[in-house]
Amino acid sequence: MATQALKAKPRTFFGLFWRRLRRHKMAMAGLVVIVLLILMAIFAPWIAPYDPTAQPTGEDVGQYYFNPPSREHLLGTDDLGRDVLSRIIYGSRISLLVGFAVAFSSVILGTIMGTLAGYFSGRPLRFYLGPLRREREGFYPWSFALWRVFSWFLYYGALYMALSIAWALAKDGLQAGSLVSYLGFGLTLALVLWAAWYGLKGEIRLDLDVAISRLIDFMLTIPTLPLLLVLSALLRDPGVKVGQWAQGVFGDAASVFIIIAILVLFGWLGTARLVRGNILSLREQDYATAAQALGASDARIMFRHLVPNTLAPLIVQATLQIGGAILTEAALSFLGFGIQPPVATWGNMLTNAQEYIFTAPWLALPPGFMIFITVLAFNYLGDGLRDALDPRSRL
Amino acid sequence: MFAYTVRRLLQMIPLLLAASVVIYALLALQPGDPLEELKRQNPRMTAEQFEALKRAYGLDQPLHIRYFKWLSRAVRGDLGYSRTYGIPAAEYIFVQRLPKTLILSGLALTLALVVAIPVGVFSAVRQYSLADYVITFLSFVGFSMPVFFLGILLLYLFAIWLPDHIPGFPRFPTGGVPGVLWEDVRSGAISFWYFLGQWAWHLILPVIALSSLQMAEWTRFMRASLLEVLSQDYIRTARAKGLAERVVLYKHALRNALIPIVTLVGLAIPGVLGGATITETIFSYPGMGRAIFDALVEKDYNVAMAALAFLALMTALFNLLADLAYAVVDPRIRYS
Repeated sequence: MATQALKAKPRTFFGLFWRRLRRHKMAMAGLVVIVLLILMAIFAPWIAPYDPTAQPTGEDVGQYYFNPPSREHLLGTDDLGRDVLSRIIYGSRISLLVGFAVAFSSVILGTIMGTLAGYFSGRPLRFYLGPLRREREGFYPWSFALWRVFSWFLYYGALYMALSIAWALAKDGLQAGSLVSYLGFGLTLALVLWAAWYGLKGEIRLDLDVAISRLIDFMLTIPTLPLLLVLSALLRDPGVKVGQWAQGVFGDAASVFIIIAILVLFGWLGTARLVRGNILSLREQDYATAAQALGASDARIMFRHLVPNTLAPLIVQATLQIGGAILTEAALSFLGFGIQPPVATWGNMLTNAQEYIFTAPWLALPPGFMIFITVLAFNYLGDGLRDALDPRSRL
Repeated sequence: MFAYTVRRLLQMIPLLLAASVVIYALLALQPGDPLEELKRQNPRMTAEQFEALKRAYGLDQPLHIRYFKWLSRAVRGDLGYSRTYGIPAAEYIFVQRLPKTLILSGLALTLALVVAIPVGVFSAVRQYSLADYVITFLSFVGFSMPVFFLGILLLYLFAIWLPDHIPGFPRFPTGGVPGVLWEDVRSGAISFWYFLGQWAWHLILPVIALSSLQMAEWTRFMRASLLEVLSQDYIRTARAKGLAERVVLYKHALRNALIPIVTLVGLAIPGVLGGATITETIFSYPGMGRAIFDALVEKDYNVAMAALAFLALMTALFNLLADLAYAVVDPRIRYS
């Protein structure tokens, strides 16, 4: 009897986590909303009463434009006579696709970058070895031998570019013919010669942590929204190779792919910082040392031992990022730089909304409301996950 | 500390150079250049005239040459002319647009701060009370609300729906800046208070729309920060030695809880200078955000470059200032 009482029902990690999450009422409400939205996105063709891109044809089409909500069109029609409710239902597909794709890709990319930065912090990698440099350690693997040759091309290619820029700039000065310009030219030439010589004999070590952290700092310095605008304009241009490729592969949905790519480009920064901080402390743990002592490779220690221990904050981060990505996509589409019509998204349905509120308010309110509800649901779910996954919080 | 500051300032130089290269390259790679637009407007332009224009704009030279020429002028303070407005880009950005943005975004930042700190403190002190739940819910609403939707909602409510349905409800302006001039105040044509009132009247809705997100975030942050401090041992010590709850809260807890807020505010200031493209678009307010957006659309590269480079510089500077301020308010932090 006594032993019977002491025996606790074994609980799996997931079971415990689910029990804790269920107590967070708003998170559960958020989860329900998200599941409903996903169902709506999957079954859009069956739910939507009309084709979201179908425009009325025939004579006197003007009577179908800007119809207020009625029994036939529950949320009215827009400036081209399309059914607003159907566009909202189909819009959920884009929003959720963008949200999940961006969050998933940036968490993967951020985890890889953050893990590399954290794990190799203070352990610079041999990045470049000059062709004439004598080896101290005799043997190195084939991959590095290959990289060694490749890095010569990189180094001297960069040097050649620098030289050509310096030369083109110097020509202007030399034509003017002042003493200072000759001096500057001579100095630049000396510098390039020195760099070429150093490249033959020298060795460059690369601290991955410094490189990645500086890259993150640098990307955070660039003003985000203007850069997003510039990038999306650039990638949408059919004259640019990437734009052509995207158009060819994705057709009408090319702008969706482009938006996802752009958002991931800026989305991994936060995750990378988070993971780097975690890995920095985790790699000092005894189990990491034990794995190393048993002869595990760097890759195995990183991805089998360290990364699984950062999963909890990663899941929270990913959930919150889904909401963030949906918001940013909507903002870009609102400004006309995101996903292009005729594809319906909640953001581009709002593009001209501030003009329509005077004449057709039913066009402005529902898409904004859907964005708000979706983001709110993801934020609450993220909050609930944080509480449920944090061992210090008592629920 | 001094050595650290100098080192950080020196590290900023390559960072800013790299940022300006990237921004310049992205602008130059934009589809279509300004000349094509001119050619479209004037189809009878001959090939020679086109070439002459190209030389005049310096577009006949390769990209890297153009960049270094821009850089060498920019460091001497010459940011070129705005193609659209025919005035120096620096004057357009720093005289016409920046002050307006400072008013709008500065007010929004101040409002967010003034509301968020007391509300966050209240919410933390009354943890798990009804008021706390309401405040938490409102802050979740605040940072889930897209600013363009909030702006449209405010416009619809205060400029259309409420004035239509409630007789006597004042109709709020739908945007823009008031048509009152500071010169008229100086010459005595209109009173100062009328001038101020007009500005306040026009700014209420955009300021609310712009500040809500930050207000919600900072309220949440203030609450979490104060709760964290209140669970520390030294707070229990302070209570145990018989200090009044007021003293414990304001002298021991709040001052420590405010430390992380300093960093947050420091990091938010570059955003203030950058303006708010979306809020300015909805309320047709002529600020920096809209200026950058229009410059990008109209390919007014000197203006876009001036504004974006200025923003990058400010972001880097305020990052440093936030770190330094952190060390000033928290003596445990030492930079070497």
